[in-house]
Amino acid sequence: MSAPAAARRRLPRRRVPAGPISLLAGAIVWELIGHLAGASFFPPLSTVIGRLAGMVTSGEIFASLADSLLNLVLGFAVSLAGGLLVGVAMGRFRKVEAALGVYVYALLTAPSLVFAPIFFSLLGEGRGSIVAVVVMYAMFVMIINTASAIQSVPGHLVEMARSYGASETQILLRVMLPAAAPMIMAGVRLGVGRAVTGMINGEMFIAVVGLGRIVTQAGGRFDGAGVLAILLVIIAVALGAVALVQAVDRKITGWVPQTSRGH
Amino acid sequence: MIEVRGLGKSYIGQDGGVVQALQDVDLTVADNEFLTVLGPSGCGKTTLLKAIAGLIPWNEGDIFIDGSPVRGPGPERSMVFQNFALLPWATVLENVAFGLQMRGVGKTERIERARALIETVGLGEFETKRPGELSGGMQQRVGIARALAVQPSVLLMDEPFGAVDEQTRRLLQEELLSIWEEHRLTVVFITHSMEEAVLLGDRVVLMSARPGRISEIVPVPLTRPRSSDVGALERSGKYVEITAYLWDRLRDMHEERRPAKAGR
Ligand SMILES: Nc1ncnc2c1ncn2[C@@H]1O[C@H](COP(=O)(O)OP(=O)(O)OP(=O)(O)O)[C@@H](O)[C@H]1O
Ligand SMILES: [Mg+2]
Repeated sequence: MSAPAAARRRLPRRRVPAGPISLLAGAIVWELIGHLAGASFFPPLSTVIGRLAGMVTSGEIFASLADSLLNLVLGFAVSLAGGLLVGVAMGRFRKVEAALGVYVYALLTAPSLVFAPIFFSLLGEGRGSIVAVVVMYAMFVMIINTASAIQSVPGHLVEMARSYGASETQILLRVMLPAAAPMIMAGVRLGVGRAVTGMINGEMFIAVVGLGRIVTQAGGRFDGAGVLAILLVIIAVALGAVALVQAVDRKITGWVPQTSRGH
Repeated sequence: MIEVRGLGKSYIGQDGGVVQALQDVDLTVADNEFLTVLGPSGCGKTTLLKAIAGLIPWNEGDIFIDGSPVRGPGPERSMVFQNFALLPWATVLENVAFGLQMRGVGKTERIERARALIETVGLGEFETKRPGELSGGMQQRVGIARALAVQPSVLLMDEPFGAVDEQTRRLLQEELLSIWEEHRLTVVFITHSMEEAVLLGDRVVLMSARPGRISEIVPVPLTRPRSSDVGALERSGKYVEITAYLWDRLRDMHEERRPAKAGR
């Protein structure tokens, strides 16, 4: 290992752990405001955590959590497959981009929830509708990132591969996808966050199931602590999903030089 | 043998205008010849090389390699690029083996052949490094090893040492000479440098611009092998004479294009 690399690796240990300190500060502020405000819809953190512990010990949360995670995983998987497929096609073929681009951008910017009633009437109150909402939220950002990632693959690398007689498939698999991977993964990171939002919204507005059901019911009872307890769970789910994507990202794009990633 | 017959190539520019990059280019490169191509910027050197490589279409004329017409890239040709064109995510070994992989050579064989060439270019201990961890000179050694790994009979080099520093460039020139002396390849080597053109080439093709054509072919009657004593060669009268002649010719070309004398 070279000397600068060793130094870089040692550095974080000496630095202040920014993440945990920021979380701690946030928790303290929440607790204080909760006590000072005394409003029922904004209880202090300790009350919320107590409520969450209650949900865990009574076991009522687990079935809902499993339900929600399944919605999330299905929706995200469909979005990822669609995002890669359509994105690569749009990035490679100008005609496909011209044909689909306008729809993709329209659906990216349209508020995804307006499609909920349509899915509801088409797919009914079941899991299909919720998964469809998750896809509406998550897929388009991945399509667009994948398409521009493929378009910005350096032409000289493709030409080099061609000079060795590479087939179109080889060029796609051995040159374009690896070269585009960092930018595609950036889209996947955005997509996974949006998928969590889609999951909750779908569960609250379409079929009152999963974590969305608990939120809706707690809201109906004006149970602020219950709503916020589920919010904590949702945040944990989102952070977990993003961490998972980041771990995959590091595996795939470890070759990108440290200096271009920031600190 | 490479035969270029009446080659003409024009590009459509972004403004819709037509750029005549090559016109009436006739050229024969003998087997095992080291041919260098010299000319002002934009005279069509890269275009000529890419046409021979089968990477771009052209408008007029034909190109033959050992009698068969060029329709695209072929296994007997490989190319070394000015900007190296290495895969940044792949190791030195994977980069060198890339051409073999594209041509369907099995894993064990391609690793074996790639290793041998990595030794040839002196990068044995860097096999597992990625291009980002190598200097420019080392990166181009990887580029050369990759091109040689597919065992071409024709090596096409587009200003391969244009992006490395002067000292590294001299080392690479000597290494290329000894590789060529050993492997006996047909080389077409593009350069901006008169010294490099004379040091390496059996003949120097001088090209002129607008439209790009061959203005003269200058033989280089310097003894071979040259890799053993490059210094003595550069002090020889012949070497000095030929480089001076090439510069005279190039300066004429530049002056013809200077606006001040355009009214003559
Ligand atoms: N893809 C392209 N589209 C339009 N014009 C092009 C294209 N490629 C090259 N040209 C033009 O064709 C002419 C020859 O270009 P070429 O790259 O072959 O020159 P060159 O001799 O290699 O130049 P240099 O020494 O700067 O590398 C130039 O006028 C250039 O602008
Ligand atoms: Mg060029």
